[in-house]
Amino acid sequence: MQTTNKKEYQVTDVAGKLAKGFLRNPLTAVLGAFLILMGYLALNIMPREEDPQIAISGGAVIVPMPGASPKEIENVIINPLERKLREVSGIEHIHGMAMDNVGVVNVMYYIGEDREDSNLKLYDKVMQNMDQLPKGTMQPIVKPFDIDIDIPIVTIAFYPKPKSGLSEVELFKIVREVQQKLNSVNNVAKTTLKGARKAQYNIEVDMGKLSAYHLSLGQIMKAVQSVAVNVPDVKGRTQQNTLVVFGVKNAIENVDDVGNVMVAQYMGSPIYLKDVAKVTEGIDIQNFQTAEILHKNAKEEQFGESAKQVTLTVAKLAGTNAVFVADDVMDVLKSYEARFEKEGMGYLVTRNYGTRANEAVNELMHHLIITIIIIAVMLVFALGWKESIIVTFTVPAILAITLFVAYLSGQTINRITLFAFLLSLGLLVDAAIIVIENIHRHLHAHDVESKEMDELLVEATDEIGAPTNVATLAIIMTMVPMAFVGGMMGSFMQPIPYNVPVALIASLFVAYIFTPYLSLKLLKKPKHKDHHKEEVHS
Amino acid sequence: MKKLENFIYGILNEKKKKKLVVTLTAVAFFASLLMFPTKMVLAKMLPGKSDNTFSIYIDTPAGSSIEETKRVSSCVIDFLKKEEEIMHLELFLGQGIPLDYAGLVKGASMKQTENVAEISVNLTDKHHREEPSFLMVQRLRPVIKEACLPLVKETNIKFIEQPAGPPTMASVVVEVHGDNLEKIRKVALESSKILNQTEGLVDVDVMADEIFDKYELIPDKEKISRSGLSVEQVNNILYLAFEGMVVAHKNSNNSTDQIPIFLVLEKESKKLFSKDDAALRSKLSSLNLMNMQGVMVPLSEVVYLKKVKSNPMIMHKNLNRMINVIAETDMVSQVYPLLDARGQMMEHFEKEYIVEKEPGINTYMFDLHLTDRETGEKILLRWDGEMKVTLDTFRDLGGAFIAALVLIFLLLVVYYKSFVLSGIILLGSFLSLIGVIVGHWVANWFTSETFFLTATSLIGFIALMGISSRNSLLLIDFAKSLMECQGMPKRRAIAVATATRAKPIALTAVAIILGSALLASDPVFGGLGVALISGTVAAVFVSLLFVPILMDNAKAMDFENDTCDMEHHNISITK
Repeated sequence: MQTTNKKEYQVTDVAGKLAKGFLRNPLTAVLGAFLILMGYLALNIMPREEDPQIAISGGAVIVPMPGASPKEIENVIINPLERKLREVSGIEHIHGMAMDNVGVVNVMYYIGEDREDSNLKLYDKVMQNMDQLPKGTMQPIVKPFDIDIDIPIVTIAFYPKPKSGLSEVELFKIVREVQQKLNSVNNVAKTTLKGARKAQYNIEVDMGKLSAYHLSLGQIMKAVQSVAVNVPDVKGRTQQNTLVVFGVKNAIENVDDVGNVMVAQYMGSPIYLKDVAKVTEGIDIQNFQTAEILHKNAKEEQFGESAKQVTLTVAKLAGTNAVFVADDVMDVLKSYEARFEKEGMGYLVTRNYGTRANEAVNELMHHLIITIIIIAVMLVFALGWKESIIVTFTVPAILAITLFVAYLSGQTINRITLFAFLLSLGLLVDAAIIVIENIHRHLHAHDVESKEMDELLVEATDEIGAPTNVATLAIIMTMVPMAFVGGMMGSFMQPIPYNVPVALIASLFVAYIFTPYLSLKLLKKPKHKDHHKEEVHS
Repeated sequence: MKKLENFIYGILNEKKKKKLVVTLTAVAFFASLLMFPTKMVLAKMLPGKSDNTFSIYIDTPAGSSIEETKRVSSCVIDFLKKEEEIMHLELFLGQGIPLDYAGLVKGASMKQTENVAEISVNLTDKHHREEPSFLMVQRLRPVIKEACLPLVKETNIKFIEQPAGPPTMASVVVEVHGDNLEKIRKVALESSKILNQTEGLVDVDVMADEIFDKYELIPDKEKISRSGLSVEQVNNILYLAFEGMVVAHKNSNNSTDQIPIFLVLEKESKKLFSKDDAALRSKLSSLNLMNMQGVMVPLSEVVYLKKVKSNPMIMHKNLNRMINVIAETDMVSQVYPLLDARGQMMEHFEKEYIVEKEPGINTYMFDLHLTDRETGEKILLRWDGEMKVTLDTFRDLGGAFIAALVLIFLLLVVYYKSFVLSGIILLGSFLSLIGVIVGHWVANWFTSETFFLTATSLIGFIALMGISSRNSLLLIDFAKSLMECQGMPKRRAIAVATATRAKPIALTAVAIILGSALLASDPVFGGLGVALISGTVAAVFVSLLFVPILMDNAKAMDFENDTCDMEHHNISITK
């Protein structure tokens, strides 16, 4: 590569070695295309979310003790349980709550503690001490927190359309069907219903009639219980030893059967349940947890009447793409639309973290591109358009490498990752700018005629290698300690110290490999020596 | 270029001018630091972000019925209905809205009593809406509270916005620790009053059950056994009559769930005339129990009635009894109202308690220790919530910053093998702090809301350290080669170096400024953007004016002509 009649330039820095190695290598272009392709793939495959995942682990231990007062619960349940839980390592806070009839102890682990381990430790500790449970308590319930599964990414409110006459029970039945279908969608974890009213046979006893017929509530309870039993089929045998299967049918088939239950006999005539109580097929009247929705109709500006609703919540599995899951859920809902229309019910998507994540990511990608264009335009004025193109090319290459590394290390694309990219954008063009500026200067130097293009490019790159390395290293070093910031904020910001150093290192390699390579393709030695303005020197 | 070179040379050559630059820099530095105590620049962990949703928590006092809760909720909804920007709103009675990040730490998933309700409000898209959600909340909060709070006494209505960063229980949390339940309850209530009066704090709530009247039915054991009944029977019938019970189930082929058969007294039959013991007694007398002999015994015959106070929930934190008092900030940083409230509390509790401050500096440094003047009982007022997280974060970021300083210093010492030169570079980059602080002050002018110095500003500053140290680094490198390889006199060399490096320094600075320009418009990362932009501007001035003076004064900068190291001959490129 070097001309023999000249003194060969001694490559001293990694920068020069890289530049020299890749300058005439046909694979350099392939490598560039490959990197950008990898980055593009990573951008599309990586799970997207709005905020980065914070590893919060914790759980609640619920110990019911019917009839106990808060102070009793505090003494016999909360205090001993808290003491025992102190033995578990990694717990930051223990919150105890002593209420009427029940004691609850919440534990919060330090941020970043492994979730599965933490859940296991908590369960283990409670189970180990089951023998010390005071008498009269019921089985303790251990409920670990699980952010991914607990926080729904999509919520849908189903409501009957005005004048459709759809009852709450029918609404619930359809929603339950939809729930079954949604749970079969890939990566959907937990689905729950809120505000659901279930079908129920209600027996509302009139106290006046009760005393008139000389009856007690207990009698009525026994009468109903004795009728509503299910028994498995019994097998009888014939003399030929063949089986005859027969069974008692449940005596209660519909709500009328309940009303016709005979409660007692009074003066020789039977008293039926419907005589002393109102027996209806209805909803669970004891459930006070209801939900309503108000919304504007498509054309109107005013809110419509409030309607009873059932909200279906959908959560996703950890580490899966919220955007994809939400889209799949929407597809399932679309397939039901005709049915909903027929039944006279409507639905509204009241939360969709999938689109929110997608919008947040796309908006930032948009910002990123605008910023790159602005910097490119600035460089056209400062260095010339060919140089500007070279520097601008390095940016997607660097971001592609960073994205790919982030993908390999199991990160997700979220707001903070993209802010890390935006933050590094201003820094990562520097290496390329420094290299291109030096090449530019060499091309306009006095002795440009005497040098081969190859040698000139390698020399220009190599010269600035050492100071650029040190300067970049200095910036990386400012970022590294940030990875050790603790607490929620630390975890929240984590993508910055993870991604900015990677981007900076990538910027060095890209600047040393591709800047000279592209300069060789795009830049020409000036035909005649002319003093460029910047070269005027004392 | 020549002009700049001569300008720098002129400064270096005259002692007076040198002194002037140094004094100006020092004045600028201390003046910018003074912006903190004078509250020209306010600090906060994370600012609010405009979102497409917010929620409202309604808590009627413990022991309220679902109908009372609904009455308050309807009142709130009537106000919300008038808002044009609200797309839809959902009311969840007796339960929380589907869990979100804000609700996660506020215990929304635990709600299952009749005295709670949550409203979820969905707004139109934030890009097409003029009013940010936080301003809307600020506007609605006083109006709604004034109209709806009096409906049921002691009701609490809280407006919950989605957190910009990690969620916290509340902006300001006062934990009242102590062993005496009545006393900590009293202190908690008094603290909540003080917080209520503090400007900038809203949605104050004591996280304790209100104490309400209830009736205790004391079974007369002798009468019960003589009537041929059992206590268990009494309990069951009472529960059955008023709460109802599922007594049987029916399976069905064409229903998605089992159908329960529910037995309860008719609504009209179980309603009491009024809320007093006579009404309750008359109701109980009409409720009969059947004994083993088949004789009916009225319930009122076998129980006494006693009016008692309800037992409030007892809360523990880390094994100590505690009551939380929480408050949200109204578009201001929590630091300043917190300090105000703390001062008020110290004054208020002075009468009954000996008030001591937390000794030493740690992230609990605002805590107050109260000792009862008579009994000697100790109560601890601990500040938690966002304040604690802020202090922890700022402490950790501060630590990260110092670690970054040390690492850069070591790196430079390895590179230059001189402590003085490394020190110059560090000092130069540290001065970019001037720009960061002033930048926030300026940004505050241009924004309608307060522009806070946030955790992200600190991250920006840390990143700046690296960026501005590079400026000085290239400058020193350049001047060094000029002196070594061309034998230029020191002052001239520094001036030439500064003038030639001005272009790439400015170029990279412009790249950073343009790169951060879009960051600055983001509510959360605005601090980072502003810190980078203004810090970079300051860094350019510092490295072009202040650093050359330091270099000139440093003996370590005296390089000999003959030591020219061919490895560092990047000077040749300029010739």
